[in-house]
Amino acid sequence: MKVDAGIGNDLHKIPATARELETFGYDGIRTAEMNHDPFFPLMLAAEHTEKVDLITGIAVAFARSPMILANISHDLNAFSKGRFTLGLGSQIKPHITKRFSMQWGAPAAQMRELVLAMRAIWANWYSGAPLQFVGKFYTHTLMTPAFTPENTSYGAPKVVLAAVGTHMTEVAGEVADGMIIHPFSNLSYIESVTLPAIERGLAKAGKTRDQFEISYSCFVVTGRDEAEFEASKKAAKERIAFYGSTPAYKGVLDAIGAGDLQGTLNQMSKQARWQEMGTLIGDDLLNAFGVMGEPKDIAPQMLARYGKFVDRTSASFPVSDADERRKIIATLRAG
Amino acid sequence: MVLANIGHDLNAASKGRFVLGIGSQIRAHITKRFSMPWSDPAMRMREYILAMRAIWACWHKGEPLAFTGKYYTHALMTPFFTPTNNEYGAPRVFLAAVGPMMTEVAGEVADGVIIHAFSTEKYLRETTLPALERGFAKAGKSRKDFEISYPVFVCTGRDEKELEAAKIATKKQIAFYGSTPAYKPVLDSIGVGEAQPELNKLSKQGRWDEMGHVITDDIMHAFAVVGEPASIAGQIKSRYGDVIDRTSAAYASLPVEDRRKMIAALTAA
Repeated sequence: MKVDAGIGNDLHKIPATARELETFGYDGIRTAEMNHDPFFPLMLAAEHTEKVDLITGIAVAFARSPMILANISHDLNAFSKGRFTLGLGSQIKPHITKRFSMQWGAPAAQMRELVLAMRAIWANWYSGAPLQFVGKFYTHTLMTPAFTPENTSYGAPKVVLAAVGTHMTEVAGEVADGMIIHPFSNLSYIESVTLPAIERGLAKAGKTRDQFEISYSCFVVTGRDEAEFEASKKAAKERIAFYGSTPAYKGVLDAIGAGDLQGTLNQMSKQARWQEMGTLIGDDLLNAFGVMGEPKDIAPQMLARYGKFVDRTSASFPVSDADERRKIIATLRAG
Repeated sequence: MVLANIGHDLNAASKGRFVLGIGSQIRAHITKRFSMPWSDPAMRMREYILAMRAIWACWHKGEPLAFTGKYYTHALMTPFFTPTNNEYGAPRVFLAAVGPMMTEVAGEVADGVIIHAFSTEKYLRETTLPALERGFAKAGKSRKDFEISYPVFVCTGRDEKELEAAKIATKKQIAFYGSTPAYKPVLDSIGVGEAQPELNKLSKQGRWDEMGHVITDDIMHAFAVVGEPASIAGQIKSRYGDVIDRTSAAYASLPVEDRRKMIAALTAA
């Protein structure tokens, strides 16, 4: 299992942190799109590392035109000598329409078209195929030499999709190079919903599982002592409660018979009772969303539960002892 | 929102040195290259900049985000999506403009204007400046709150041969821009508007070299400062010194020493 690390968004710290993470033994560096641009840190990381993969996990797809995404990821892939992976997620409708002021259609169908639109743009740039993409959501039919990048020796970046629902997961299997399983997932949901949907998508495109990379970052609760363990447990419960308040994720709770919780969490989230929401998540529920235990038990638990289908992870290991973290990573990478 | 975020991040990382210069492009590129909506460019641009300012006011001053315009809606922001490194605030926004409407919008809502290289001194003084003043008046701003950037065509060479080559290149470039129908008013400003349809026709036939011949020496002098390297800075300052605050005039073909002298002469008030 490959192991990635998240990198923050303080651009002044990225060069040093990126070098540290590469030396520490990670396979990849990931950014998320929250309150900062997700691409700038990876550009700096590319400049200051040699080997690690550079991944957005994720960038908000529908906040941008496919042309902008195609261009940014071309540039990052060329600059990093082929190490860039464009991880995309849909976000949810209110964020796309009311935060980003952009178009929201049928998300899985729109995402499928967005990825195909980028592939059409890249085919135009790299193979000179005429740009004639006319879809339901996107139209790209104009390209001139002045707007065509010339540094094409590394070609297109890999594209992976974050998905929760069956439609989006199937789209990932069909048009993407990999998928990021949402951290708000449990084994019973992954086995009954996610993996079969990926297989259907792969089949549509005539691809096999070994051409596809599955990433999953389960929750990890651990610590070097009782205090650290309890703090990490509290943080995980609050995070699970936050995700659980999203109506679109109800299916995930349903898979473990906890669907009723969704309505309550949603209501509390509208009253901003974030900390209180965490107290509604019991240890059993927490255990369904990840692994819990002493540092030495974390990697073996993860490999036993997820090793047969997970190719890479960016789980974070909340133990302050660097040696313990290094051991966890080494065990996972060997497994 | 994406531009507001990028602008914020680059301004914070550069400790307040970032200027977000934006331009509209033309309809075909927006709709068929970028697959994005196009309408009423000046009005849309005005709203675009005001939307970014509303987002920055939310992030930097804690104002509620409730921007509902004709083209853009930004009404959702949570602490999770709000940057915290706010000490350098919003970047400055410059707007590229040619026509009087876009220029007026620049004066009203931007911190500066990037004037197109395809401009004459006459167009600048008779069309651009009054449009900016109308924009300032609308916003209650004064000229000193605003920066005017103009690249200026420079036509120079160290000897007769280099200068002649530069003249041919400059004329071709003027001819290229002059073939754009939207830029006809700039040619009108010096009474040669009739050249526009001719240039447009030649461009459609791919007769780029011949197009350069349409540009006479007089037209060239209206668009460009022409002469030996030592004279360029003085010419730019005497023609435009009272109007423009910064330039990105290109003289890359000159030796480093000549360029350094030219820049020193321009930056010395």
